[in-house]
Amino acid sequence: MPASSPADNANKGRSDLLAYATLSLISIFCFVPFFWVLLASFDANAQLFLHWPDQWTLANYVRVFAKEDGAKWLFNSLFVVGCATVLVMILAGLGGYALSRTHSWWKLPFLYTILLVRVLPPTALVVPLYKILLTLNNAEGAVLRPLLGSYARAIMHWTGFIDGYFGLILVLATMQLPLALWIMKTFFDGLPRDYEEAALMDGATMTQRIRRVLIPLALPGLAAAGLFSFMSAWGDFLMPLIFLSSPELQTLPLGLFRAFLRVNQIDYGLLAAIAFIYLLPAVIAFGFARRFLVQTFAGGVKG
Amino acid sequence: MITLKNVRKFYGSLEVIKGVDITVEDGEFAVFVGPSGCGKSTLLRMIAGLEGIDEGDLILNGVRINDTPPDKRGIAMVFQSYALYPHMTVAENIGFSLSLKKVPQAEIRKQVEGVAQTLQLTDYLDRRPAALSGGQRQRVAIGRAIIKKPSLILFDEPLSNLDSALRVQMRAELQRLHRQLKATVVYVTHDQVEAMTMADRIVVLNKGVVAQQGPPMALYHEPDNEFVATFIGSPKMNVIPVVATREGAGGLRLVGKSGLQLDLKVPDPGMPSGDIKVGIRPEHFRLTSEPQGGFSDEVLIVERLGVETYLTVGRDVPVVVRAEGDIAVRPGDRVSLTADPSVCHLFDSAGRVVRSAQPL
Repeated sequence: MPASSPADNANKGRSDLLAYATLSLISIFCFVPFFWVLLASFDANAQLFLHWPDQWTLANYVRVFAKEDGAKWLFNSLFVVGCATVLVMILAGLGGYALSRTHSWWKLPFLYTILLVRVLPPTALVVPLYKILLTLNNAEGAVLRPLLGSYARAIMHWTGFIDGYFGLILVLATMQLPLALWIMKTFFDGLPRDYEEAALMDGATMTQRIRRVLIPLALPGLAAAGLFSFMSAWGDFLMPLIFLSSPELQTLPLGLFRAFLRVNQIDYGLLAAIAFIYLLPAVIAFGFARRFLVQTFAGGVKG
Repeated sequence: MITLKNVRKFYGSLEVIKGVDITVEDGEFAVFVGPSGCGKSTLLRMIAGLEGIDEGDLILNGVRINDTPPDKRGIAMVFQSYALYPHMTVAENIGFSLSLKKVPQAEIRKQVEGVAQTLQLTDYLDRRPAALSGGQRQRVAIGRAIIKKPSLILFDEPLSNLDSALRVQMRAELQRLHRQLKATVVYVTHDQVEAMTMADRIVVLNKGVVAQQGPPMALYHEPDNEFVATFIGSPKMNVIPVVATREGAGGLRLVGKSGLQLDLKVPDPGMPSGDIKVGIRPEHFRLTSEPQGGFSDEVLIVERLGVETYLTVGRDVPVVVRAEGDIAVRPGDRVSLTADPSVCHLFDSAGRVVRSAQPL
């Protein structure tokens, strides 16, 4: 390699400086909204514009939980998205394994077809989906109401397809499942069959093979699939908006949305506090799952 | 003792194992060897129970085990990839089969320590497989097999991914272990050197059938067919097409075809004369100063290893010749070669042996 001349070095230095300056500007531009949310949520007198709080306070957060239904929203969001994620992880784990190990002719057509679910805009599916879930919900109601009488409504809040946790969990899980199946299928493709056969020779039953060999080996893949599902479902706004109507079932994004819509007064401090609470679980989930993503499983088979 | 009787395996309509009969005695180290695709790994997996047997009998110590599940056969297997569970320590890996059987922890610990002692793994019991060297991983895989006290241990090309120095070392170690454990072993490899150095009995497989089985030196000196003759021994036996004509009483004159100036007289094995093949091992050629019952041709390639030198001689039908020491021959030189008629193998046009070499 020829030695670079001083002029080249100076040029390189200048262009590096320019690149870093541009990147810094873009970073700041992207970071400002988050910074505003953080500052405004602790500001007693929050404004639309970014400014350093004159007076630091927790009052905004207190109001979210005391005056508004913040705790309920948070619980609803965590419960619905958490259940959907667990459901996706179970189905994607089992399904991804099956898809990886089978040689059936329908394997590839099936894998590409389920990707369609991911490609189609969810908004376009809202009407038929609502229709199907409404029919299921009416059928469930027709069975439960005579059996449970006045308790039916309370039960249907948990098990209903419309305006119930169960329906929303199903819809959210369905939307996340295709990508998760692909992740798990690809993951199992890279996992040699030898592990399972070794366990078989060691005398492990089907359940022991899954619990003691496959699940520990699949953990990084499951963490990745779960992380993507959680983040994506956590950010979903449309489905809870359409399928939930009871105030006690509202999720965090709906709470934030309704607080924003209130006429006459826009309470930026309150909005920022809700937004920050809404952001936090996604960040925590990312930090948690990252550990599994980087965990290397080298060394079991010779390399 | 394990016996395979007329064992067959089909993939759809394709027959991959075509009626195999093999017997491995107790304490024997048997090596299945053959080129890739010959069915040796499939056969091993059938013995292990990882593949079904479509026809024939698999008999272990007098019991037919065709339909016995893998873990009930009393057979352990060391995988090519080792397949050590990466999320378990060495001790957990070795003791896994016992913990599945709900053996008390203290008992597992005791047995694992015993196995670790045998395999010199005592210092590594708390490590994960990722923190071990290739040879150590190999020993853990063996430990996982022998803790089950199996009546048969299967090895599926266990040395194929190790570097050559480590391979030589592990070869010796496996032999030492075999003597120490007095275990019956079936070992699959594509490397005939591994087969020759380790085996009590070699089973050469080709296209789903047993080409020949027996002790290594029997296969070397008396191959049944051209396939075994060229597969066993390195560099491989030269097989030269010749025309045989009867000459006098009990003599056969072999004349090389296609430009090879070979001219040999061998005792008549009582076969039809005409187009046959003669097999001569590289070490059985002699370099002579002048052609006498042999031939002379141009040297194409010289490979010097110090203790021996390999010459590739002849343009039309190249033959490989082994010479002792570091001889003064260069590519382009002409050399004269001869071979003792008693060490020539004769094959008919179908590759069957009609006369084996007589040991010198």
